[in-house]
This record gives sequence, C-alpha cells and structure tokens, in this order.
Amino acid sequence: MAERTAPRVTRMLGIVTHLERHGEATVADLAAHFGVSEQQIRKDVELLWVSGVPGGGPQDLIDFDAWAFDDDVVRLVNSQGVGQVRLSPREAVALIGALGVVVAGGVAPEAAHSALAKLKEAVGDGDAVRSVPVHPADPALAQTLRDAMERSVVVDLVYIDANDARTERTIEPHRLVVVDGATYIECFCRRANDYRTLRLDRIYGATLGTQPIVMAPSEASGFSLVPQFEATIVAARSARWLLDTFPGVEVADTGEEVTATFGVSDVSVIAGQLLAIGPQLRRIQPAPLAAEVSRQAAAALAALA
Amino acid sequence: MAVDPAERLLNLIIALTHARVRMTRAQIRASVAGYEAPQHGLTPEESRRKEAAFERMFERDKDELRRMGIPLRTVVDPTHGDEIGYKIDASDAAMPAIDFTPAEAAAIALAAEYWQGATLGPDANQGLTKIASATEAAPRTPLSLGARASSRSDATAVIVEARARRQAVQFEYTSERSGHATRTVEPWQVVLRGSAEYVVGLDRDKGEKRTFRLRRIHGTVRAVGPENSYEIPTLPHGRGQVEAVPIRTARIGLRPEAGNALRQRAVAAGSVGDWDIFDVEYRYDDQVRDEVLALAGRARVISPESLAADVRSHAQAALAAASASLEGDGRG
Repeated sequence: MAERTAPRVTRMLGIVTHLERHGEATVADLAAHFGVSEQQIRKDVELLWVSGVPGGGPQDLIDFDAWAFDDDVVRLVNSQGVGQVRLSPREAVALIGALGVVVAGGVAPEAAHSALAKLKEAVGDGDAVRSVPVHPADPALAQTLRDAMERSVVVDLVYIDANDARTERTIEPHRLVVVDGATYIECFCRRANDYRTLRLDRIYGATLGTQPIVMAPSEASGFSLVPQFEATIVAARSARWLLDTFPGVEVADTGEEVTATFGVSDVSVIAGQLLAIGPQLRRIQPAPLAAEVSRQAAAALAALA
Repeated sequence: MAVDPAERLLNLIIALTHARVRMTRAQIRASVAGYEAPQHGLTPEESRRKEAAFERMFERDKDELRRMGIPLRTVVDPTHGDEIGYKIDASDAAMPAIDFTPAEAAAIALAAEYWQGATLGPDANQGLTKIASATEAAPRTPLSLGARASSRSDATAVIVEARARRQAVQFEYTSERSGHATRTVEPWQVVLRGSAEYVVGLDRDKGEKRTFRLRRIHGTVRAVGPENSYEIPTLPHGRGQVEAVPIRTARIGLRPEAGNALRQRAVAAGSVGDWDIFDVEYRYDDQVRDEVLALAGRARVISPESLAADVRSHAQAALAAASASLEGDGRG
C-alpha cells in the first residue's frame, strides 16, 4: 500500500524545517535522519520543488539549489514560509506518555528528563497525559547499568530469582526496558551463556566490571516474558481492582464472584500480588501457582511468628 | 492525470498559509493545484457530480490536516454573506523553536515501540518525524531504553482528541459500585499506570471527579455535545486526595538484601538477629501490607500490631485458598 498522505506531507515539511534550522544536507543524510530510502527523499524534494502559492510564478514556488541537487546535496533556497507544524494532541500524548513511563520507572537518563520537559514546553498542554510509577527502580542501580552500557562494559551482580535462589552473575547489559510499570534489563548473561531479561528489583549489589561487552543485543526483545502458562483465579468481586491490573487479563463476572484468566510469565510476582487479595481468593489454578501462593503465604506467617 | 494527494495537500497548506484573510471553498477549488476547477460547457448533471467530487476531496483533505495537527481556522466574512472561509495561521501552526539533542531524540524514539499496534501507533511515528525536523542529524545509536505495555485501549485516541476540543465523551461502563451504565464525562487527563490506562474527568451525571479504567469501557467512545464546553481544573500531581489521611510510621523487619523499594524510602533503625529494622511512613494500611506480603517472608511487620494482624489474616486466607485449590486439583 502506498504511504498515507499525512505522514508523507509531515516528513516533507520536516525536510524544509530541518534544512532551515541545520543547513544543507546530503540526500543520504536526510534518508538516514528521517528513516526512509534515498529514492523517497528525492521524490519528496522534487514534489516540494513544484509546490507553491496558487497562481504565482516561479518565484512563488518552494525552491532548492538545482546544481547542488545534481550532486545529491539538498540546499533550500526559498521555503515560501512553510515548515513543520506543532505536535497534534494525539502525537503529544503518544510521545509524552511513553517517555513518561520510563521517567516514572526511575530508569531514565538525564536526556529523557530534558526531552520530556522540552516536549511539554513544545506542546503547552503537557497535562493531557500522566504516567504513574508502579514499581520504580532503584536509581543508583539504573545509573550503574546505564554507565555500563555507555562504556560498553560488563556488570557483576547478585540476582535473586523467582525461586528465591541467589546467584552471582556477570551480564552484558543492552537495554533498560519498562514493561507494564516494572523495570527490566535486557542483557546477555555469561553465567547462563544466553540472553536474559532480568527484573531490576531482584538485582542486588551491581558493580561496574572492566571487561568489554562482546555480544550484540538480541533481536527478540522481551522473549523471556513470554507467559509460561495460563492461570485462572476465582475471587470475590471486590478483588477485581487487583485482577484487572494483570497483563492481558480477561475478567468475567459470575454473580458475586469474578473469574480472571491471564498468562503468567513470572509465577513468584503474581503469587506475591495475590496475597494482597487473600481474603477474597476462592480458587487458584493451575497447581504451580497455587503452590507458590501457599509457599509465600506460609513464609509470611513464619516471619511473623 | 490525477494529482498526487500529497502534492494537493501541500499546495493547500501553502495557499491557506498565504491567504491574506481567508479562502472560500470556491476559491480553493478554482486556484489550488490538484483540485479540478469548475469547467464551462458541462451539463448541470455533470457540474453537480464534479461539485460533489470536490466536496468529498476537500473534506478528506481537512481530515488529513487535522491528522497532521494543523489548526484550520474558519473565518466568516460578514460582507460576503454567510459563506465560510478557511485560513491557516502560520504562527499558530508552526512547531515551536525548540531543538532536541540527538540523545533526547533517541530517548523520545521509544514511543514508537510503546504504541506499536495501538491506535496511537501512527501518531507516535508521525510525532517522531516532527521531532526529527527539530533535531540535528547524528549517527544512529542503539536505543538503550525501552517501554512496553501488554494492552492499550483504542479509546485513548478518541478521548485525547475530545479533550483537546474540550468536548465531552460518552461510553458504556461497568463499575463495582454503579454497575453497568452510560457515562458522560468531561475528560481532564489520561493516566498510564502499568499495563492499564485510565481517564480522569468530571462525571456529568454525578457532578463529581471520577477515574475510569479504559478496559472497562464497552463498545466505542463517542464525543458528544459542543466543543469548548468545559474547563479543566488544575490537576494534582500526586496520587489523588491524600490530604485528609494522617501519616503514620510502621516498624518493619527486612532480611538482608530484601525489600529494596521499602529500604529506599525508610529510615534504618539498626538490626535484630537476622533482621534489618526500618521505620517507614505510610498513609494507607494496604500500601505497606501488600508490599510486606509480596516479599514472602523476607519482610515482617513489627508494629503497629493492627498492621501485623492484617498481614497475618491475609496470609492465612491466601494459604487456605491455595491449599483448597491444591486439594481440589488432587481429587480432580
């Protein structure tokens, strides 16, 4: 299907503004910058070139330097006063909302904070969307991981996994990612000799290593968050507030009770959350989830004894 | 030959930006390259068909302008009857003179992944094109930051657009307290929290501020009533009305290396045996209770006793439900 009109015209106006603000550019640079082919950039420039004020002569058209264009350099001569337009309300919410999610997650570098501030200023109505933290990460840990990625070195850390097992690992960090409010590091784990997505609130005592990162980031992001099995919870209706927050959940009303069905990617996290609706819980399936709830509840009681 | 729609739209933008006062539909049709100007020597039937074709084309182009975020002003000129004219104010439409550094642009780029597959996906991509216009070219660096949500609502886009026009929205909604009902809401703010999206606004029937979870909306969300029909009050940036609830302090024991989040906001108060002791301030029992429960024995409430009892009763109930489920499975 041909590219839609609005995105294409938005890019064409963007080319004009980019050239106005940052000076001439090669076709190849513009292609890389706007994420399209060089052929597409040439088509865009050629179309801009014949556009202008109605009924006007050649002086009323958007104009480029023809000699430079022959050498694949785009040099703007006359923009006819057009240029990039402000963010639409939907665009603003899409950009501010997503960036707000990582800032609220506590893992964002300084550039993300300043970008968010600039976006809100550019929009003038930055209150249209708000991102609320759910499980904010430890800022010091996030900083260590960011430093490691910037210097391209490994990180040594202690990880306590879903089964409470403590391991020491050396990881090659690739990307910090906030998924449904919780923060993870996508990395290559040298101990497992495979790619892993580790939850930040299970990482302790991370220190910057000296060895360089050698493995390329995995193509498949978020692979380890694939649900391991489907769970079904029957609970009193008043527990719905929690069940509704589970990723991908379907909640069905059955009179005084609700039945929630969802994919479980992390048994221990789900079990821990289910304790919060202990008095409302009626039935937990399958057995591995019920067993984990049982184990955690017993541990919580033992700690109080 | 049919003119490229992009060319027509671009010419329309330039024409309306340069129009001194306004352009009427007739002027647009006659002069903007890409529209078919009225011709002489057509039968009335042919004329009407061409006229209708122009109207359809112009309505589509107005939609495209809206999609691009270009405000189209309608201007009525009293000396020329009631016919509506159009104009684009360059200063109103232009992107503010803010430049983004390459690092900032790279951070914003994560929006594309976050909204992928959602209604706002194309909006995110188009927004990123606009950011690129205001960013110096730089070598692309791999993105070391990302965000995803496992579910996003189609209602968000409609609500955001209605809010921008200060127009109320109407939808079917199921809630704990009120059951299933049609709600008419003045949207104030969209809230993203974990995998959930909410809209905060004034519920017109209740006359009060309410929060609606978008997943509980059935069917579509419709914008209703006139534009500019309400004002948005200054919104608190905290978690809502928390003024009335007093702050209390709980004493919590944490196993070494457990309860990172609690440690972050608590005050250390020594250690007893294998427990690190912390004092943590809280407003709501369930806040601390759920956190202690989720730590599954690596945390314990020392005081107040009411909070400890709350943790105990929740754990006992969960244990009973889990045991019953396991036995049930064994029998089945």
